[in-house]
Amino acid sequence: MRDLSLSTAIKLSLFAIVAASISVFAPAYALQQVAIAIAYAIAILGLNLLMGYAGQICLAQGTLFGVGAYVTAILNATYGVSPLATLPVAAAVSAAVGLLIGLPALRLQGLQLAIVTFGIAAAFPQLLLKLGSLTGGVSGLPVDAPETPGFMTDVPELWLYLIALACAGIGALLVSRVLFGDAGRALRAQRDNPQIAQALGVNLTRTRLWAFATSSALAGLGGGVFAIVSGFISPESFLAILSINIVIGSIVGGVTSMAGAFVGGLFMVFVPSWASDINLSLGNLIYGLALILIMMVARNGITGFIEKWISMIFRRAAG
Amino acid sequence: MNDSSIEEVRPVLQARDVSVQFGGVKALTDVSLFVRPGEICGLIGPNGAGKSTFLNAATRLVNYATGSIMLDGQPLEGVETRDMIGRGVARTFQNLGIYASMTVLENVMLGAHHRLGGSFAKAIFAPLRARALERSNREKAMAVLEEVGMANLAARAAGSLAYPLQKRMEIARALAAEPKILLLDEPAGGLTHGEVHEFGALVDGIRRRRNLSILLIEHHMGLVMSLCDRIVVFHLGRNLAEGTPAEIKSNDAVIAAYLGKAA
Repeated sequence: MRDLSLSTAIKLSLFAIVAASISVFAPAYALQQVAIAIAYAIAILGLNLLMGYAGQICLAQGTLFGVGAYVTAILNATYGVSPLATLPVAAAVSAAVGLLIGLPALRLQGLQLAIVTFGIAAAFPQLLLKLGSLTGGVSGLPVDAPETPGFMTDVPELWLYLIALACAGIGALLVSRVLFGDAGRALRAQRDNPQIAQALGVNLTRTRLWAFATSSALAGLGGGVFAIVSGFISPESFLAILSINIVIGSIVGGVTSMAGAFVGGLFMVFVPSWASDINLSLGNLIYGLALILIMMVARNGITGFIEKWISMIFRRAAG
Repeated sequence: MNDSSIEEVRPVLQARDVSVQFGGVKALTDVSLFVRPGEICGLIGPNGAGKSTFLNAATRLVNYATGSIMLDGQPLEGVETRDMIGRGVARTFQNLGIYASMTVLENVMLGAHHRLGGSFAKAIFAPLRARALERSNREKAMAVLEEVGMANLAARAAGSLAYPLQKRMEIARALAAEPKILLLDEPAGGLTHGEVHEFGALVDGIRRRRNLSILLIEHHMGLVMSLCDRIVVFHLGRNLAEGTPAEIKSNDAVIAAYLGKAA
């Protein structure tokens, strides 16, 4: 147990160092990009709980992210609610929508569940256009920048970055509460062997629904942060491919890792644009090959790969 | 114990005329069986006799077509599988029902999920309460591991243990549930001759300390005969015989169907 808390402490301090150095060294524009990556990371945190621990797939995480973003934007643009105050509502509404999807969808499993949830992701952008009076249709909705504290007015991006980071911290705290206790054990138990889990008194449906709702709430929170950081949203930000990209971010980062969620978020934002920077006409080719390469060498994602190497080095050093 | 006093005690588990069907195949036909409080009842028979199927029926993992199973006088019809452990029925599985990637301690703590489980809601909205439950669960699980002599293995991954230890861990998990009745499906599998004796003493000690009723499926005849107060024999999905170990040993039908001449 002491080893566990020690490694957690090391990870947390590493994380703090990285987060602090980004805020110091990154230029303002990059800071905003990182804040968007963190918004995705919050959604991935949820998906990791659902995919990695509950063993359920959801190809509508981008949609639930979009629902959160629109809740924030509508509350702010239409009703004048301060942006930060919309975030809990965004999480709650997405959780409710997630439950609505999850209730019928969890009768299905695996491949069928993937298709059903992707159907929702495919329908969502059009739905946003149809509900134009509420969502602003194709022209989208603006979101006010949250009031920046005085000493930071030179770099409002820094404030956005800190907001995103704080929300991610809350999300990570929530997920760790669930994972490092009985609920997390029950989740893994029903994933690894549902029949035995049932014999141990685990309520499969309820456990899976809670996982779905928690995952959706985080998607909604991430979406709200995305709306605030972007300052403007439109249906184009929430096309079906976003849900696939979130799944990719989750798997590339490491589907059972909380740090992996952040790696995945950064991957989603930066790697495709780096690939295009290398060669504009071959961007997709480079990106695709990068994905293939990563999965060949790092089956458990980038964080899994790093952890494997670190533990190997430690073992070598120990003897 | 003589027969007239026995009739007055209500069995912990009582099955009457239970039949289980898989498609067109009858796995159990009108079998009856009871387990009294504090008793170790053996359930033996050749492979395919329906012993594990009976355990699955008694824990609601499979449905029975006809007949009735009562637990403490309460019928089990309509009870959900997941509620059985809360009603006091804990079991082990013939082919191991462990979580190989979890630690031994985590496996055993899962046994108390139904009593000390922190739901999602508790974990998210009442983290202090969830943490207190978790602590008391961990302490109790450690105590059970101590009881079965596995406390030193608590932090090991369950999948890394030798097979007999995995089986023993599964018993610890069942005990963590604090059941009224324990259903053990071939718990001595993989043990050497010497180890079987020690294992018998462990099970007997558990029964005495906890005043537990146990239904024991086992092929190891030495263990069954020395440990059980009473033995029920199934053959081809039906009751073949019932009696004390001495009676079963000398029962012609049982010898012909299962024990063979050597026994």
